[in-house]
Order: sequence, then structure tokens, then C-alpha cells
Amino acid sequence: MSTGRDLLARLAPLLACLGLLAIWQAASLALNNDSFPTALRAIEAVPSILGDKEALINILASLRRMAIGFGVAVAVSIPLGLLMGRSRPVASFFNPLLMVIYPVPKAALMPIIMLWLGVGDLSKTLVIFLGVSLPVIYHSFAGARAVEEKMLWSGAAMGLSAAERLVRIVLPAALPEILTGCRTGLVLALITMITSEMIARQSGAGNILFNALDMGEYDTVFAMIIIVGAMGIGLDALFERVRARLVRWSEPQFDMPLSFS
Amino acid sequence: MNARAVTTDILLGLLPIVLLIAAWQALVSFGYAPVTLLPPPGQVFGRMVRQILDPTFQQDILATLFRLFAGFAVAVVIGVSIGLAAAANPMINAVVRPIVRVLAPLPKVALYPALLLLLGFNHESKIVLVAADALFPILLSTYYGASTVEQKLIWSAMAAGTSHREILFKVVLPAAAPSILTGCRIGLVISCIVVFLAEMITSTDGLGHVLVTAARTFQTVDMFVPLITISLLGLSLNGALEGLRSYLLRGFPDV
Repeated sequence: MSTGRDLLARLAPLLACLGLLAIWQAASLALNNDSFPTALRAIEAVPSILGDKEALINILASLRRMAIGFGVAVAVSIPLGLLMGRSRPVASFFNPLLMVIYPVPKAALMPIIMLWLGVGDLSKTLVIFLGVSLPVIYHSFAGARAVEEKMLWSGAAMGLSAAERLVRIVLPAALPEILTGCRTGLVLALITMITSEMIARQSGAGNILFNALDMGEYDTVFAMIIIVGAMGIGLDALFERVRARLVRWSEPQFDMPLSFS
Repeated sequence: MNARAVTTDILLGLLPIVLLIAAWQALVSFGYAPVTLLPPPGQVFGRMVRQILDPTFQQDILATLFRLFAGFAVAVVIGVSIGLAAAANPMINAVVRPIVRVLAPLPKVALYPALLLLLGFNHESKIVLVAADALFPILLSTYYGASTVEQKLIWSAMAAGTSHREILFKVVLPAAAPSILTGCRIGLVISCIVVFLAEMITSTDGLGHVLVTAARTFQTVDMFVPLITISLLGLSLNGALEGLRSYLLRGFPDV
């Protein structure tokens, strides 16, 4: 009985996917609109995109930019966030600046950054970096601030230096919260990737998507939506696995992803 | 926390912003960046003031604000109701949970072409995109807040003879309010970002459109103005929500 239940729980996301595709299929059959192909036709168009060598290279290049931007952003943001959480002057130094930057759409900086750095990989990666940084900084900040003082006192009493306390006490204690931020950052990296490529129409998955829209190739548009959506869901599921392994000791606060752009 | 510490904090916080503008000015004045690529800050802020007094630009701000608020309102209504329903009813929860799990990590911008094809190039497609993006943080924080309401509160309400429906609105909803408002705050920032992006992709008005037009004609000064405007809009909306939050949550411990 319990295994049946487990199986159902494991299959539930898959069932949800199928259900959503079925709704799509039904809606497009009902609307019978040229620019809204059925789910089946969109799925049929997926292999032809992935089979096309140039498109595949484009998509892989997008993913590489995303990985670099995400990696650098995480490497910079976690130490900064932790420092902000443990030191009041650092927090009050950076907080207002971050609040000013937060509501600016990072991909909207693309036209300006393109003027300075060109349309190449560098500007796109920089935009992804900017987009990922903020949530990771905020979550690391919140996580570091919530660390129990007693643990830090005991650490200090045992002769740990401030830097050691940060790495050996604050970092592990804030890890669940940091990983929540990284998960948000991952979805955000994907979104920024698509939008930056939409603005700098040169290469990448976003370029394929919006070019197809301009050309009126609706099957390709919807197939790309499926591909990008699958990337988002796949990366999120992968990250969730890593997270579960890293912080097995902590109860997951949300077992649903807290994503936002 | 005394007044002096607060003043120090504010001064410290202004420092990086001042430094940033100073560095910007220095880059221009020492000739490291040509004025066509990086206009001096004075020119940008002067242009900004003139633009804000300009009726066409005001129309653009209003168009953006309208889409932002419409999308955000839809997201709040749907997010809070689904979140509450999922927390209250296991059946609904079993259906909502996997759907949210699939839809939340989906990059919604990628859906925008589909929305354009289905809803056209007017307000509707942008509002739906804003709502779709702002929905999930609000839904999830409502669900989280409502499902962690202290059981004792619910038991005492039941013991006092409150009906199920009334418990939902008079006990669970207020108890989940802090969490819901946190979700709304995230949702609001997202709405700012998404409405701008949607207007950049296709639009005939709005701040995003101003940026795109400026970029196409290489008017660097005009490219900075909408960006600063959306940042200021986001800041003031955030401040307004913060005010609303402290008004609604007066009497709550520790928020």
C-alpha cells in the first residue's frame, strides 16, 4: 500500500505534465487557430530542432553561458551575503544599493551593456550573473542572520577565529536557506538567458524562439517553449536532488520550489 | 537601536550609491568612456527631470503602472485563494502540488510568444504574463503560511463553535498574513521586472518601449532614463507595501 502511494507521489509531477499537455491539446482543438498548434504537433517538432546541428550548438552555447554566469554569481554572492548577515556595517553598506538594483530588470540592461561589451558571450554572461546574484545574496543574508548566537559563542570559546567561524559555523547553518536562494537563482538564470538572447538576437535558445515567432513558424515557437520548459523543470529537479543530499539533516521548508524572476 | 546608529547606517548605505555615481562621473570626465556610450550622470538626471514633466513620458509610466497593477492584482487574488484552498483541503492539495511543482520552475518569459499569439499584442498578454510570474511566490508563501498556522488556534476556534468556513477566513487567513505579505513583496518586484521585459519585447507604449526605442536610435541618455524610472517605481511601490504591511500587521509580534 505504502509503495503504491510512493509511486503515485513520485509520478504526480509527470501526471501533472501530461494533464497540462492534454489541456493544451484540447484547448487548441477547440480554438482551431492557425497560430496555436496542438500539443502533439509541437512535440513532433521538438526532434527536428534538437536534430538540427546548428540549433543544438546554439542551445548548448546558451547553457554554457548560463552555467558560467550562475557559477560565478554563486561564488561571489554567498560570501557577500554571509558577511552581510554577520556584520551590521557591511549590511548597511550594501543593502540600499541592492534595493535600488532589485526592481531593475537585469535583461533590460542588455542594450546598454551591449554598447560597452558587444553582443558576444561576455555581455550575456554578465547579465545572467547580475540576475542570479541578488536572490542568492538575499537568501544567504537571511540565512546568516538567523544563525543561533550560542553556536557562535561556543565556537569563539573554543578558539575559532572570525573567519573560521564564518566558514565552519555560519556557512553550514545557513546552507538550507542559501540553497533555496540558489534554486531561485537557477530558474532566474534560465529566464535571463532567454531574455538576453531575445534582445541580442545573435545566437542561443532565446534567439531561435523569438526568430520563429517573427517568421510565423508557430510549430517551432511552441516546440521551443516545450524545450525551454523542460530545461527549467529538469534543472530544478536536478538541483533539488543535490540539495536533498547536501542538507539531508534539515527538513525542507518548501517541497515546492520558490521560484521567481 | 538608537537614533545615532540609524544615521550611521543611512550614511553608510548612501556611500556606495554616491561612490557609484562618482565613479561614473570620473569615467566620463577622465575620458575613459566616450560620452556617446556613457553619458555623464548630470546629463542623465537632467534628462530624467525633463522627461518626467513630459506628458508623453507620463503616459508611458501610466501604461506600465496599469499593466503592473492589473497583473499583480490577478496574481494576488488567484495566489491567495489557491494557496488557502490547498492548505485547507488535502484533495485540492494533491492536485495543486504537482501542477505547481511543474509550472513554478518553468521560465514564464518563454511562454510570452504563446500568449502573444493567443491574446494579441495589447494589454492582455502582458497582464497575463505579469500575473503568471507573480503568482507562484504569492501562492507558495500563502500555502506555507496557512499550513503552518498553530493547530491550537484552530482547535480553540472549533471549540468555540466556529464553522469551517469561518475558521478559514477568521483564523487561518489573519495568521498567515505575514507570510502572504512577504510573498506579495516578492511578487511586486517580479511584476516590475516582468512588465518592463514584456514591454521591451512588443509594445507601443510603456517604459520598456521607451528603452527599446532609445536603444534602436542609440540615444544613450534616453536608455538610462526608463531604467532609473523603473528602479524608483520599484522602490516606492516596495515602500508603500512596507507601509501597508506594518499597518495591517500592527499588533503582530515580531514582524
